Amino acid sequence: MAPTALLEGANLRKTYRLGRDTTVEALRGVDVRIEPGEMVAIMGPSGSGKSTLMHILGLLHAPDLNHGPRPELRFEGRDIVALSDAERTRIRARRMGFVFQDFNLVPTLTALENVMLACDYAGVRGPAARTASRGALDLVGLAGRGDHRPVELSGGEQQRVAIARALVNRPSLVLADEPTGNLDSERSAEVLALLRRFNREHGQTFVLVTHDAEVGAACDRVVRMRDGRVRDQAPVALATPVDLSPRVAAVA
Amino acid sequence: MQLLRDLGRRKVRTTLTILGITIGIWALVVFGSMANKINALVAGGSEFYAGKVTVSAAGGSMGFGSPLAISAADRIAGLPGVDVVVPGVSLLMSDQASTVSFGIPELIEGQVAGADRGRETFALHYASGRALTPADEGSDVTVVGSDIARQHNLRVGDSLTLRGEPFTVVGILEPTLTAPDTTAVVPLAAGQRLFVASLPTLVSARLDPTAIASGLTVYPKPGVAPEAVAAEIKTAEPDLVTMTSADFDRQVGSSTSILNAILVGIALISLVVGGLSVINTMAMSVAERTREIGIKRAIGGGRLRIVRELVTESALIGFLGGAVGLALGAALVLAANEAGRSSGTVLFQLTPGTALTAVAFSTLLGAFAGFVPALHAARLDPVTALRYE
Ligand SMILES: Nc1ncnc2c1ncn2[C@@H]1O[C@H](COP(=O)(O)OP(=O)(O)OP(=O)(O)O)[C@@H](O)[C@H]1O
Ligand SMILES: [Mg+2]
Repeated sequence: MAPTALLEGANLRKTYRLGRDTTVEALRGVDVRIEPGEMVAIMGPSGSGKSTLMHILGLLHAPDLNHGPRPELRFEGRDIVALSDAERTRIRARRMGFVFQDFNLVPTLTALENVMLACDYAGVRGPAARTASRGALDLVGLAGRGDHRPVELSGGEQQRVAIARALVNRPSLVLADEPTGNLDSERSAEVLALLRRFNREHGQTFVLVTHDAEVGAACDRVVRMRDGRVRDQAPVALATPVDLSPRVAAVA
Repeated sequence: MQLLRDLGRRKVRTTLTILGITIGIWALVVFGSMANKINALVAGGSEFYAGKVTVSAAGGSMGFGSPLAISAADRIAGLPGVDVVVPGVSLLMSDQASTVSFGIPELIEGQVAGADRGRETFALHYASGRALTPADEGSDVTVVGSDIARQHNLRVGDSLTLRGEPFTVVGILEPTLTAPDTTAVVPLAAGQRLFVASLPTLVSARLDPTAIASGLTVYPKPGVAPEAVAAEIKTAEPDLVTMTSADFDRQVGSSTSILNAILVGIALISLVVGGLSVINTMAMSVAERTREIGIKRAIGGGRLRIVRELVTESALIGFLGGAVGLALGAALVLAANEAGRSSGTVLFQLTPGTALTAVAFSTLLGAFAGFVPALHAARLDPVTALRYE
């Protein structure tokens, strides 16, 4: 394998304590390696630990340190486990983009302001941020909805605002939890094509958590999870055609 | 700018938070003003008695009561430390001894105008009319305090009945917040006449009104302490009782100390209640936003910046709640004072200090109450904050 992975994790465990002696082992020791420019799907049954893994890979959550073999997590060759919160926050702001399962837009901000907030945290402000954010909303087909607050948008629209927010800083890694979960198959195909295009044109790496076999099939590789473990991570058959029909390409 | 926009978009929540704070600060302003009034009464009294010794016959209290012979004034004037002696009479305006009112009772004071030879330091200001002059001796005229003027709806030229006798009002004083407000000053001769008439007939029949006083005001020579003069008088005239401002503080201080303790207690309770209501509403409203803090942290917002934004917002809300609470408290205090004036019960005094303290208190407490949950939420890992409900 290539000497430096974009993201490399080993011995990742996460145990949630529910009560005095009830615990949930969401991750039971996961090793993953994400190459630069890859588009990877994480699939598996509900509760298998997909979101938990994504949160750990996205530095939103620390892996357990107090039991089992010492976990390792490297992003662009840097050891993440030892970093301070401020440094991890900075990496999230500038190098990563997130799409959450339940969107997580700031309710008091409009769609445009939500996207601009991500620019702000990455150090881009003023007209540059506005232009970039408008462009990102345009890409997801929400050019006209920039002034709407999240409550005024449908689930699918909120999801696309979240995608625009994740893409606006051109991060090297985009982590998306069910990015097409609330979209009909047509919209879903459009968004998928958009992500694929960014992946191809800008060399951005995508990790998509999904239940949708079609999404999995459009990726380079599928990591399959079960009960907090990686079951297999086979490359998708090279023959799988990437759907770039003219209509979709036009929207993108 | 962005701050006001965010508050505007959370109208209901912001309004409720401001309202919660308003109630606390309102209570603080109202009870604080009440405590102020008591303090002003006591402090004003002590100022009124400053720099002089008040002498009365044994058996009386606070300068009114039993008669003393005016000849004592000449003997005291001869004492080494004494500069000026002013004989005077004072008696309750009402002959119903049972009349109990809050604060200082209404008094009639009789003195020869100018007899203090400029020694009186308690400055009086006239809202209308003029001061009494020595030429007024022999006529039934009076200068009244602001509360009396208001209560009897008096103007200069009106007639005021004192102990059954009509007096013409020639001057009305500005409010002083202490004794002069509830005093009607008359010439000495008129005062002596009213005073003797107020005594039991058995006593009054044997008295020459022009030879008695109910009290003497003694001004020490420059550089002599009132307490030293009081000691001289006590030695020379064992039958007389002296009072200095220090005595006043002791006497009045102890008689109002229970009331004061109650008021301080109320003020402290309102401080705690007001403070807790600020803390509670603010902490709740910030804690409710833990999820939002999680979102911002997840997409790369720094802890410091997020906490700073929330603290600024909390301080602003605290300030607004404090300002509204102050406005409502001031409105109540003013209305209650206006209503109570006719019955002579002015209960409140809102000072700039109290007003400023209330708003500063609510702003700082608001900021602090926002800071704690904001810091707590910002220190959670983003995923935990996101799962907060
Ligand atoms: N903060 C938490 N506290 C307690 N338990 C948790 C927490 N987060 C996740 N879990 C538990 O960990 C397990 C894995 O959760 P996770 O969200 O990673 O699953 P998932 O694969 O994303 O499921 P889905 O497809 O339904 O989103 C589940 O049993 C879940 O209940
Ligand atoms: Mg999930």
